[in-house]
Amino acid sequence: MPPDSPAAAVAALDCRDVTVRYGAVTALSGITAAFAPGLIHAVVGQNGAGKTTFARVAAGLVQPAEGEVSILGTPIRTGHVSESRAAGVELVHQSFALPPSFTVSEAMEFGATGRGGLFTARRLRRRWQAHLAELDVTAGPTQRIRDLPVETQQAVEIARALITDARVLILDEPTAVLTPAGIETLFDRVRRLKASGVTVLLILHKIREVLAIADTLTVLRAGQLVDGPRPAATVDEAELTRLIVGQSDPAAGRSGAGPAGQPVSPPVSPSVSPSGPGASPMVPAAGSHPPALGIYALRTRADSEGPALEDVDLEVAPGEILGIAGVEGNGQKSLVRAIAGLAEVESGRIMLGGRDIGPRSLGERRAAGLRIIPFERNTEGLSLRSSLWENWSAGALLQRPLLSPVRPDHLRRDCAAALREWQVRYHSPAQPAGSLSGGNAQKVILAREIDEAARLIIAAQPTRGLDIGATAFVWRALRAARDRGAAVLVISSDLDELFDISDRVVVMLSGRVSGRFAPPYSLTRVGAAMTGAEGAFA
Amino acid sequence: MSSHLVTITRSLVFVCLALLLCAALMQGLGFNALLMLTSVAEGAFLRPGAIENSLRWGLPLFLSAAGVSIAFRAGFFNIGAQGQFYLGAIFAATAAHWLQGGAPLLVIPAILCAGFLGGALWALWPGLMKLGSGTDEVITTLMGNFIAGLLLVWVTSGPLKDPAGSGQQASSPVLAAPYRISDSSGVSATTLGIALGVGILLWLLVNRTAFGVLSGLAGRNGTMVRWQGASSWRIGLTSFLLSGGLAGLAGAVEFAGPTGRIASGFLPGHGFTATLVALVANFSILGTAVTALFFGGLAAAALYLPIMAGLPAAAIEVINASIALFITARSRLVDRLAGRKETSS
Amino acid sequence: MIDLLIAILRSGTPLVYITLAGVIAQRSGVWHLGLEGIMIIGACATILGIVATGSFALALLIAVLLCVAASVLLWVVIEKLRANPIIAGLGMTGLGLGGTALAVEAIFGSQATVSAPFGVPRIGDSFGRFGVLSIFVVALPVVVALFWVLLRRTRFGLRLAASGEHPFALRSIGGNPSAMRLAALVIGGVLCAIGGAELAGGSLQFFAQGMTAGRGFMAFAAVVFGAAHPVAAPAAALLFAILGTLGIRAQLLFGEKVPHDLLQAVPYLTTVVGVWLSSRLRGGGDGGGYGELRDR
Repeated sequence: MPPDSPAAAVAALDCRDVTVRYGAVTALSGITAAFAPGLIHAVVGQNGAGKTTFARVAAGLVQPAEGEVSILGTPIRTGHVSESRAAGVELVHQSFALPPSFTVSEAMEFGATGRGGLFTARRLRRRWQAHLAELDVTAGPTQRIRDLPVETQQAVEIARALITDARVLILDEPTAVLTPAGIETLFDRVRRLKASGVTVLLILHKIREVLAIADTLTVLRAGQLVDGPRPAATVDEAELTRLIVGQSDPAAGRSGAGPAGQPVSPPVSPSVSPSGPGASPMVPAAGSHPPALGIYALRTRADSEGPALEDVDLEVAPGEILGIAGVEGNGQKSLVRAIAGLAEVESGRIMLGGRDIGPRSLGERRAAGLRIIPFERNTEGLSLRSSLWENWSAGALLQRPLLSPVRPDHLRRDCAAALREWQVRYHSPAQPAGSLSGGNAQKVILAREIDEAARLIIAAQPTRGLDIGATAFVWRALRAARDRGAAVLVISSDLDELFDISDRVVVMLSGRVSGRFAPPYSLTRVGAAMTGAEGAFA
Repeated sequence: MSSHLVTITRSLVFVCLALLLCAALMQGLGFNALLMLTSVAEGAFLRPGAIENSLRWGLPLFLSAAGVSIAFRAGFFNIGAQGQFYLGAIFAATAAHWLQGGAPLLVIPAILCAGFLGGALWALWPGLMKLGSGTDEVITTLMGNFIAGLLLVWVTSGPLKDPAGSGQQASSPVLAAPYRISDSSGVSATTLGIALGVGILLWLLVNRTAFGVLSGLAGRNGTMVRWQGASSWRIGLTSFLLSGGLAGLAGAVEFAGPTGRIASGFLPGHGFTATLVALVANFSILGTAVTALFFGGLAAAALYLPIMAGLPAAAIEVINASIALFITARSRLVDRLAGRKETSS
Repeated sequence: MIDLLIAILRSGTPLVYITLAGVIAQRSGVWHLGLEGIMIIGACATILGIVATGSFALALLIAVLLCVAASVLLWVVIEKLRANPIIAGLGMTGLGLGGTALAVEAIFGSQATVSAPFGVPRIGDSFGRFGVLSIFVVALPVVVALFWVLLRRTRFGLRLAASGEHPFALRSIGGNPSAMRLAALVIGGVLCAIGGAELAGGSLQFFAQGMTAGRGFMAFAAVVFGAAHPVAAPAAALLFAILGTLGIRAQLLFGEKVPHDLLQAVPYLTTVVGVWLSSRLRGGGDGGGYGELRDR
């Protein structure tokens, strides 16, 4: 049945005007979409586009501020998991949601409904063995969740979701944790589910995967429905990339007339060509000027915060801005944590100003000129319940002996002066950082991290959630730091911004560098490297 | 500052809520709640000599509570003040035993130092376990309380047993008068001086050193401090040692001051009350001093009630417990009450 | 030998009941430090109830109701007022210890112990020397078995464990972790009432202030040491009781040479070593530090 057939009158999942707000942030605004039954639907978009929130609204985990949801024609009360489940919606989370100490059969049972509240170990095993076998899950019913490899864990999650008569199965970023072979197995499984009549919604961000499996496409960007659901056959890679990443918005009025204005620029002949997985590692420059940051054949282990880094090579010269592009969750966090010394390095070297900083603590790295504007402004960057002056002075105080005397009035005065210089709007240095707006809070971090002694500044998503004015301010500050001779490493998922500011751009995919570009940048080619649509899929 | 006002208001709101619960409970049990509460106030502060008595209990309470504050400020849930207090007392008594006959001017500081050391050691191992292996400090310090209590029983009925002792409670011999830092009233120039000195030093430490700023930040958001390059050992171990040491010092003061000896199970609620003081004062040193006096008053009233007013001393325990039940609550209702106070002031 | 066994069973039974209460709370995600207080409420209510009503069944009913009420209060404070469970639990302990003392004083006008004419029914002379044991002692294996079934062999037990281990997992299948905790605390309240009744009415038949003497905390240690397992934790509690009884016997036999007080510390020491080893095994060695102050 073609997806646009009028016969698909009763949608499997029908959302009308769904709006979700978290405090002041609108995560989804007015999403209206109907998904036809019996098909594989892909919901795509960058991180922060609202995909997960959308999935959770359908599953009843998130209560939308407005809007209605119907399953197979029946309206459900929103915000009640049991209602959604009763109507046949099941959700498999990206970071799995099964208690790690449970055995596989316990993990099946604890979500079961209906009869059978009391069981014996053998009956439990028998009951779920058949179910697992039916779905080709290789895990034994008595194995513990925490002992399973991720692929199997995911298969168990899916099996858990299918214990009831699920009509709509939503998989949130199911491929994020899988190997290419695992992805193939998953897709086979999904196709078989489709054949058995289940409607599948896949939340994805890798274009090639989307095009490989989906019947229809729905694109979200910044909480808005950009397009879809529309038949996947009507979209090609380039257009999908454009839909996901978004075009530059002329109304944004960014400073600097870079190549950002021409998203469809001609293919570049980059000075550093895109390098695949097998590319030879760079050699430390033997010249007189060591790079401010040199990373050579760096490998880390995968952990809860992101994938492993695999043979990452990077150099940033003094007075240069290197942009790291990539869909979030492809190793950017691991990279920043490795440079900060907060992640365990398996092999490879990290050089700061020509010196190997492998054994050094973050405190020593900071003393050597490393500065970090971290990803999470409100947890890693600031203590929201602490005063501005405490937040502002933390880095400097840590370089001193613990018992060294401090004059809070002087710190407050110096802090006030610095905040004025950085144009922070505040009323007292003693007010808690949590009372500032996002832009002003980010300026406090800039005021702390960008100083004379900064040699290498890492700016991770420095403009996320900021308005145009604050964004422009951040970029000006980073440019000024570069012009003073500092090296700057910018990580952003906004390609327009990245193209605008970066002297070079490196793309990360699955913990590897999947492309290196120099201006003028091609949105198409960078986007392709980001989504794995071209070349390096693994 | 307004934020201070909010936290003070919050604490007061919860203390009032707790007192209300107590009053209801007492009334329900057939007491005259009003009479009970006025008698408590009488015994704590109003009758002549009450303030001195409150000081006697408030002084060691202040020392221990300041220690609890140091740990809690830095984000460590040290609920082992009782054990650290006991270890301090045991170390102090042992030092006094060994140094018998020495010049008081040397022995008294040695006793106090030994107390600090004992308490610090009793916080050291939970600290090492926490920082080294991530072992939950709530369990280790809680278990430490009971181990220390039994250690105290053993010490007072064995190595440091008072040979003349006859009573049911095992205890050490009474410390010779020249080494006492106060009589049984607990208030002397020395004890006041110690409290004042420690108070000033701690106030300086918390408000005028890098440690004070950084440990507060670490307690509120450890992630941020780690991204600023802090090592958890430096701030963490300092906090643990100082926290235990202060409770140990309180033990030494209690030993060389009002009690004059150590006895099995003496001052059983001390650590718990000290934790309450720290929580009510929201970890400020100045606030801890005032709050310790308040709870010291309650402790004094516990002795006053049965003798003078013919009322059960357990009322004080109930008041303390009710405050504990509610003091960490974060009800939106109370937040709003406190918030409103802030905007109107 | 039989005397020793009886002594162990008598001292161990209240501890095991309280430990079960701690286990179910811990599995649901509440660190229950109010066990001591709720237990003494149960002990006090049983004795006073027998004195007042002359019926053990009624007295036990009163004890259960009061213990459940105290548990619900603790739940409201922790879940609804979002207080720190550790401090609130310690507060509940103080409230129980102080409140029972206050109640005795209010009713009898003195702090003296309150004796009851009879206690928990005994299994009777047909069991020979074991006849002095109360029905709660004999019921214990059954209770532990049922408890194990409830926690390990029912869907309710699985959901209870999920609410402690992975509340989000429970929420994603439509469960409510907070409601599971209420259920756990209420069941724990019933168990505390039985434990308290056995303590005061099992062999003693009187109530004295503070007679729980730290059993609630020793039970908590058993919960931690037994990793909140429905059988391992009661076994740990029984082991602690055996150690305690043997310690007293040893002192009676050998006098002062046995450091009885230090023997008593063994349960706490083993618990410390246990949690330390398990945290090392989990490999949480990255400085751990800086846990945000849990409640704020």
